[in-house]
Amino acid sequence: MRADGTIALLDRMGRAALPGTVLLYFVVLTLAPLRVPYLSDALPLLPALVVFQYSLATPERLPGPFLLAAGVLLDLLLGGPGAPVGVSALGFVLIRAAVMANRRYLVGVPFLFQWVGFCLLSWGYVIVVWLLTALFTWTAIDPTPAMMQYAVVIVIYPLLGPLLARVRPRDPLNVPELSRGTARPGETTS
Amino acid sequence: MVLQRFALGLLVVAAFAAMLIGKADTVLVENARVLALDLASPALEAIARPVAYANRVIADLKEFASLREENARLREENSRLLAWQTAARRLENENDRLRELSQFREGPEASFITARIVGDSVSAYVRGALLNVGRRAGVTTGQAVVTGEGLAGRIAEVGDNSSRVLFVTDVNSRLPVLVERTRERAILAGDNSSQLRLNLLQGVAGVQRGDRIVTSGDGGSFPVGIPVGEVIQSSEGHIRIRPFADFSRLEFVRVVNYGVTGLVTANPQAAPAPPAGQKVR
Repeated sequence: MRADGTIALLDRMGRAALPGTVLLYFVVLTLAPLRVPYLSDALPLLPALVVFQYSLATPERLPGPFLLAAGVLLDLLLGGPGAPVGVSALGFVLIRAAVMANRRYLVGVPFLFQWVGFCLLSWGYVIVVWLLTALFTWTAIDPTPAMMQYAVVIVIYPLLGPLLARVRPRDPLNVPELSRGTARPGETTS
Repeated sequence: MVLQRFALGLLVVAAFAAMLIGKADTVLVENARVLALDLASPALEAIARPVAYANRVIADLKEFASLREENARLREENSRLLAWQTAARRLENENDRLRELSQFREGPEASFITARIVGDSVSAYVRGALLNVGRRAGVTTGQAVVTGEGLAGRIAEVGDNSSRVLFVTDVNSRLPVLVERTRERAILAGDNSSQLRLNLLQGVAGVQRGDRIVTSGDGGSFPVGIPVGEVIQSSEGHIRIRPFADFSRLEFVRVVNYGVTGLVTANPQAAPAPPAGQKVR
């Protein structure tokens, strides 16, 4: 690797920081008073979407401990007295692990497969969060709003997912084998 | 691979540990929440302003369409309200005189802190909002939050420059109220839906559709008589209330500083103790 100029260094740092920044942005956006019907209901699930998409694209830029911290932050911000802190963190970590374990079925496959994968994983996420919240607050929480969120986020995925995934084609690991040359993971192609 | 498994296990354990700590040490979590709120509120305010502007533009455009009818309606309402104003003035005078006669001691004077809503705290599990005022402006936990139409909720958490409102519609909200017509005391409970449930302390008899529900002031932290909602359905043991406040388009609210902090902040170090009759899990 040749000595990089300042611009290249900034470029690398920017790339490394992008997924985390986007995730934090969506965590804060959860609280934004967007009064758009349906969409504002689904906001709390968008961070999970970001985690899924970036775990697919560039998992090394979204390490587990960072997800844990982001999840705890999300729980703290969403708040409500008695709501358990750390459920989203658990969900994020599990999503990342599930994506990592099933990369071969999710990376380099038609978009429809990724969508199905997202449907399955986010279903698990919603169930885990709902179940743990109900357990920790020891109340029977009406699952309808959670299901509504799920339905909306499923529909949003094809709109938002590809947009987030645009970080991917620049990654040498996602370039076809032949054109990859001697590039190492994490290095940018020109 | 083994290392990855181990790391995953560690992270899962850490997440559960966070949950358990949150369950065990509510004060710590409360402080963490407040810190997170204070950190996030400048960013939120930056997001909220353009969004509020866009919402206002859309609302303006909608209103243009019905300007003429709206004007006619308002003129009619104005004339009706003027009649009410005359009646209210007369009653106020009469009240003052009667109070002088009976040497009635009035409750403390309430003052207001106006706040902008910078964040919605609405998810499948919570109904609330974030305000851009906090301890520095004199906000404390337990204070009532009102809109022009009626009660919106109460302050649940306070940071230096931010605070969180728990709406009356939240599943954790319990509010001591009065049925305005019959003066019957009751508890108003939210269930995360857009309507409220009225739990009467005495029988359900006598509550009719259209009855107004106002705060009773029990517990000392709320002024008496803030309108909360009206009865829209009253069948056997099942009374539903529609809140007056329109939670879908809140932009500014007022925090009622009622002078007495009542039972709410008797022990400021503890997690916000609910006022009597208000149960918080």
